[in-house]
Amino acid sequence: MEFKLEAHRIVSISLGKIYNSRVQRGGIKLHKNLLVSLVLRSARQVYLSDPCPGLYLAGPSGTPMALPQLPGEPAAGPAAGWGEPAPPAVPAAWQETQPHPERSAVPDAQRAVDAEPAAPGIDAGDAVLGGQAAAGPAWRLMEGPREAAAGGPGNPAGASEVFPEVARAASHHCGRPPGGEDQPGALGATPRGDCCCAKEEAPAPPPIGPRKRGAAGAGGVGGPAGCPAPSSTPLKKPRRDLEEPSSGAAAEEEEEMETGNVANLISIFGSSFSGLLRKSPGGGREEADGEENGPEAAEPGQICCDKPVLRDMNPWSTAIVAF
Amino acid sequence: MIPGIGVLTQNTLWCFSQMKGAIETGVTEADIISTVEFNHTGELLATGDKGGRVVIFQREQESKNQVHRRGEYNVYSTFQSHEPEFDYLKSLEIEEKINKIRWLPQQNAAYFLLSTNDKTVKLWKVSERDKRPEGYNLKDEEGRLRDPATITTLRVPVLRPMDLMVEATPRRVFANAHTYHINSISVNSDYETYMSADDLRINLWNFEITNQSFNIVDIKPANMEELTEVITAAEFHPHHCNTFVYSSSKGTIRLCDMRASALCDRHTKFFEEPEDPSNRSFFSEIISSISDVKFSHSGRYIMTRDYLTVKVWDLNMENRPIETYQVHDYLRSKLCSLYENDCIFDKFECVWNGSDSVIMTGSYNNFFRMFDRNTKRDVTLEASRENSKPRAILKPRKVCVGGKRRKDEISVDSLDFSKKILHTAWHPSENIIAVAATNNLYIFQDKVN
Repeated sequence: MEFKLEAHRIVSISLGKIYNSRVQRGGIKLHKNLLVSLVLRSARQVYLSDPCPGLYLAGPSGTPMALPQLPGEPAAGPAAGWGEPAPPAVPAAWQETQPHPERSAVPDAQRAVDAEPAAPGIDAGDAVLGGQAAAGPAWRLMEGPREAAAGGPGNPAGASEVFPEVARAASHHCGRPPGGEDQPGALGATPRGDCCCAKEEAPAPPPIGPRKRGAAGAGGVGGPAGCPAPSSTPLKKPRRDLEEPSSGAAAEEEEEMETGNVANLISIFGSSFSGLLRKSPGGGREEADGEENGPEAAEPGQICCDKPVLRDMNPWSTAIVAF
Repeated sequence: MIPGIGVLTQNTLWCFSQMKGAIETGVTEADIISTVEFNHTGELLATGDKGGRVVIFQREQESKNQVHRRGEYNVYSTFQSHEPEFDYLKSLEIEEKINKIRWLPQQNAAYFLLSTNDKTVKLWKVSERDKRPEGYNLKDEEGRLRDPATITTLRVPVLRPMDLMVEATPRRVFANAHTYHINSISVNSDYETYMSADDLRINLWNFEITNQSFNIVDIKPANMEELTEVITAAEFHPHHCNTFVYSSSKGTIRLCDMRASALCDRHTKFFEEPEDPSNRSFFSEIISSISDVKFSHSGRYIMTRDYLTVKVWDLNMENRPIETYQVHDYLRSKLCSLYENDCIFDKFECVWNGSDSVIMTGSYNNFFRMFDRNTKRDVTLEASRENSKPRAILKPRKVCVGGKRRKDEISVDSLDFSKKILHTAWHPSENIIAVAATNNLYIFQDKVN
């Protein structure tokens, strides 16, 4: 149990670091973020592999890793979850079948937990695990939505917009080619995560009552309209959501919910980010692959020109930034 | 007093010599020293800081009048090497912090050095001017053109002495070749080429050509999500111009031979020590990441620094290091806190002394450590203002790991983690060391008997 708490704490800290790295001077530091992602992976492994009956993680089957996907859950498990504390970064944009794109995995998971103790959180996580392939390429799509996000007005999607960007992103998502190249400042400085395809992550359970944990307004669990227009604000809120629990939630139930969120996040984040679980590119990644191949072929030996450079950095930075 | 340490004498005592830098309590971020390097003769000592400036100190000639004062280092030249830049396409600011300085061997009266920030390497020429021409025909003394109608005589300009002026001019700018952050530069022993390494690639340059470089190592995976390690440091062999090594974030070192192929993705030698499973923790990967790699002067060994240890490897043995020294093992139980405050990501450097018998590296609380490879003795010294009286002998420090703390010992929890010594340098032939403590540069020498 102590390991789990420790792992939970480490995950929270790690996510915070990655979040902060986006606004650091000099751009994202690849080395440091790689190390942080490795720590996340380790913490996640401990977190998920330590069977602890007291926590929801055990689920109905009692085995964290073996949870079946809930019906109705997006197959590719919106890695949206992992974007969470930050603005909704939804890798699997096209996955957004949910009418209520949740703004963040945290609140989502919260909801899930509220609705069905034990299963949903981890299921979402597992779904993500299962849907690595989708999650992967989905990251790259975030470049596209970013434009939408950057644009900023209104929320066309209607549904649980939460973030106008998200909704817009959602509408742009599927199939939109990762057009990040023409996005200035794709890397690092701007919160590309905002655009992310909605993170709908959307576990099937309907939006539960909002988890009011410290979310100043936008927290938006299930939250309609809570999301403020500027992309930066939502970033802060989910993070606060996440970090609050880590600062020592008292109630057991609270603890469960938090860990659920975190488990969701880290399972999505940890595996995809370091690419450690996924062995081969999944189906939905052709776009990204195509995008990658171009610059790749041009790269070796050449002086980097901006375009290929930008393309190359996009998936990685997208992954980081999306968070 | 550490008997046995040192090249020249059996009993070497380290004394304070000089401290450079401001003394006020607040530290401006731009003043933080980010690299220190002696030139090949030890006559010059260069420092780079986060503000993109380079300061070069020169050792003054030893005078017969002051036998007990060995040559002191005084400021020789200061210049702004790099400025902050903005990459508009990526909306990224490029820091001006000087990551590394490397001197070129001196071939004429001028001095040349390479300095690099995250993206651009520059070759600087530092030269002296102590004469100036006077007596031009067409210009007056202030340099204004004279009216040709007033010129009635002809004379030849002559060179007259002037106050010594040291000027630094950028001779080459090697830009736009690195997508990721440059972490190392290394001058080849052929004195014609050098390499620059970033997180995923290493490029080979010719000093004369700035618009082209050869990519010799590329570890970028086709799919960035499969990235598992990055390059952390690289260095050319001191004598074999075809050989270089690079270290990775996974704690491995690869030695490559450029004669084998144009792209040295396949290493010639692979140095890795099997991990000790009993030490496994969440942070095992972070602390095994190598922060610095240095060839010995002999070229026979390489030294690597990871978060808690320094290791010496024999080039002929790849499966494990021949020596491992614990720098601050008492931090092993504090890794989680160090992770939280980001200290676990600190990149410490390590250096050899001139004879490769002693190695030195930094730690926290302004401590730095020396290990004598022959006697297996080690010492912890501190760079502090309290010990800054001229020729004051440095007292060895000790960290108490638990239990009763003796007088003069410092407990682990009292260590100041904001005072870290990441950069040190050792004079190529004498027992003179330069230690960078945040914004101050300390110079220590061994006691002259």
